[in-house]
Amino acid sequence: MNTETQIFEASVDSLEPMRDFVSEKATAMGASTKQNYGLCLAIDEIATNIIRYGYPLAGITDGKVEFEVVNDAGKLTVTLTDSGLPFDPFAHNVPTEEDMNKPLEERPIGGLGIMMAQQSVDEFKYEFVDGKNINSFTVNIQST
Amino acid sequence: MSFTVTSEVTGGIAKLTLAGSLDSSSASQLQAEIQKVAGEAPTELVLYVADLTFMASAGLRMLVFAKQKLGTSVNIYLVKPQAQIIDTLQMTGIIHSVHIVDTYPA
Repeated sequence: MNTETQIFEASVDSLEPMRDFVSEKATAMGASTKQNYGLCLAIDEIATNIIRYGYPLAGITDGKVEFEVVNDAGKLTVTLTDSGLPFDPFAHNVPTEEDMNKPLEERPIGGLGIMMAQQSVDEFKYEFVDGKNINSFTVNIQST
Repeated sequence: MSFTVTSEVTGGIAKLTLAGSLDSSSASQLQAEIQKVAGEAPTELVLYVADLTFMASAGLRMLVFAKQKLGTSVNIYLVKPQAQIIDTLQMTGIIHSVHIVDTYPA
């Protein structure tokens, strides 16, 4: 098992470096283009929620997002840990057909992104432990 | 890859060329460009996206925004989107609100 970690500032300017970090690891571990893209999309959506809502709503201006990448026998898991407001993506409504037709300002915050995150990886888990949000995303590299 | 967008409106058709990564950080650039072309009341919106390598939900919201800003009768064309972006459009159902084409005009 191989583990690597990196800490990013909770800023939208970090989104691209976050995706680059994950993509580089996924490529090195043999993920397909589709798996690599799906993983980057999922972490981008959840990191965006942390940056745009989780920390600002908690009144924290210097938040960080810790990334941990684990390669365990062909299972690649990326875990994002933050100390922003507790936010369970599975408790959040994802868009309905009706939502799709609503004006932009009335659309549920983050709902579309959460739906995309859930569908872009093989496993997506959320826990709130010791005041921290822990979102983990797994792709099964050996299964393809 | 950083995001770039350029636009022109000719004969009532707004043409935007997008490249790089369209995420929560860059979506405002696209929003500004849509607002700019909206001033000329185009009848069609054509997005050249062959070099668009990443699109998050913030980018999808810009498609919804464009439809609302320009009017629901304005057709939106996406020219040569990459496979992963087509997957995202399918996953979210937004593919039904846009036209995916290889060239524009056809």
